[in-house]
Formats: sequence, structure tokens, C-alpha cells
Amino acid sequence: MKNFLGGLLLGAMLVVLAAFVYLKLGLIDIRADTPMPGWVARILYTGIHASVRRSVSHGENPSPDGDDTLIAGGKLYLNDCVGCHGEPGKPPSEFGLTFYPPVPQFPRAGSNYSVSEVFWIAKYGIRRTGMAAQASSYTDQQLWTAAAFITRMRNLPPGVAKAIEQTR
Amino acid sequence: MRNLFLGVVTAFVLLPMGMLGCFVLGLTEIRSDLKPSTWESVIMGSAVRASVRRRAVGIANAATVNNKTLVAGGKLYVAGCAGCHGELGKPFREDHDHFPPAPQLTYVPTQYSEPELYWIVKHGIRMTAMSAYGPFYSEQQLWELSAFIHQITNLPPDVRVAVLSK
Repeated sequence: MKNFLGGLLLGAMLVVLAAFVYLKLGLIDIRADTPMPGWVARILYTGIHASVRRSVSHGENPSPDGDDTLIAGGKLYLNDCVGCHGEPGKPPSEFGLTFYPPVPQFPRAGSNYSVSEVFWIAKYGIRRTGMAAQASSYTDQQLWTAAAFITRMRNLPPGVAKAIEQTR
Repeated sequence: MRNLFLGVVTAFVLLPMGMLGCFVLGLTEIRSDLKPSTWESVIMGSAVRASVRRRAVGIANAATVNNKTLVAGGKLYVAGCAGCHGELGKPFREDHDHFPPAPQLTYVPTQYSEPELYWIVKHGIRMTAMSAYGPFYSEQQLWELSAFIHQITNLPPDVRVAVLSK
């Protein structure tokens, strides 16, 4: 038993040391312009979603459900998110796909996050990705409208898409 | 002896699995508006530097440095990089929005050589907000940019003026 515990400690030290040497020698591949292996993507997206789920307080969504909210959010999305996340009706953003991990293309793929979760991500960002925290650029109110739009983007009430297009 | 060996193997399996488990369960903090801890910055920063050095080592320096190329690189910087990496002639602003924060190149001189900067701009850095710009700039533009960034805190005065003039 004593030997086993000693081995555990030794093994743990070896793992840490090996990781350190690996990083220090520059052996880790850091280029962003190679595709992400499927298994890495699965682990990454699972962990990110789990952490967001844990962090979000499912309180009130202060923006009223309705066309006006979606239109306001749509305008914000078209002004500031399309560069990376893609424009509805257009091919995926080439720029967004040069990040590692690649930026989710909402018009094509939608989002499996809830409105509160999208709001949380927009406000606080996701570390170690291209997603910056937007709290210093937008009010909570604005971010809620964007979140409403993003979650409904592929399923907008009739008239909303047109209204957004007209006010651009 | 056999138990010692078993212990080592168990640690080899448990430690990575444990870390992976914590991540998959959502136990790691992921918001990007907090400052990375010092140890994280030091370890990951030096891993990135080491990796860039290793990969850029065979690239011959093709940067021609004269006022013309520096101004050309400067214009590209103003149009495409300043938003995250700091505007020329503006006060220092710490980046609280990205994690890890984007280096503020106009105030903190870069420690990378021109071929290393060329490599970074072209290929990007994984798991950061630095995307790959290879598809968007020509080889010549990439070299102009790296020449400019290399000298950004120490530009000839007339280059600075020319870059900032519309």
C-alpha cells in the first residue's frame, strides 16, 4: 500500500513534469489554421456548454417577447456579429472560420443554447476562444435582444426579417 | 516494486482523466473578462513562444525594411489589427475582453522576430482570439505587417506621421 501511494505521487510528478517539458520545448501545435479533430471538438463543446449551464442564473429575461425585441436584436447582430458569426442568407463567414476553435455559424447551424445562455456568453465571453466579452460595448438590455434574435434566427416570425432588412 | 509501478500507472490515468472530467462537467471557469492567473499566463505564454520559435525557425526573413514598406504595413495594422492590439498614438488600454488578453503592441514591444511575427499573423494562435490571416493577406502584405509590428514602438518619426495621416 505504501509503495502504491509512493507510485501515485511519483506518477503525478511525472505527468506534471512531462506536460511542462512538452510545453517548454514548443512541441504543442498552436497554429489556428488547421481543422480541429472531431474528438477535440466534442470534448470542448461539451465542457463549454456545461460550464455555461452552471454559470447562468435562470432569472428573468427582461426583454419582452415580441417582434420589436427581435428586430432590435437583429440590427445589433447585423452590425456587429456577422463579421465572425455569418450573415443570414449568405455563405459562412470566412473570417470566422480562421479561428481555432472556429466561430459557430448561427445562420446555418443555429444554436443549442437557451436565450439566457446566449446572453451570458455575449456578456462575459468564452475564454481561450475568439469570443470576447461584450459587456463593455453593450448594455444588458441590448445583449438580451441580440440573444433573443440569435436563438430565433432560423425561425423568425414573418415580417421580422423584412423589418430588419428595411432599417439597415 | 509491483505496487509502485501500479501507483505510477494509476496516476498516469487518473490525473488526465480527472482534469478532463472536471472540464466536461463544466467545473472550469470559462468567462473571458477575468484576468488569467499569473501561473497560467507564464506557463501558456512560454509554451506559445517556444512553439512559435520552433515552427518559424526555417523561415528566411523576407521583410524589406524601408519607410515605404513600414508605411504599407502600418496602414494594414491601422485597418486590421489596431482594434484589438492597440491604436497608434492612443493611450494604453488594457484588454479586459479577451482571454488571454490581446498584447497591446503599441506599448509593449514584441519579443518576436519578423519571421516569427509573419508566422503568427499567417497561421494564427489556437485557443486564443488570434485568427489566421493567411487567407486575407498576400505574402508581401504579411511581411510588411511583420516589419511594421517589429518596430511599432520605435518607428521613424516620418513613418509614424505617414501611417496616421489619412
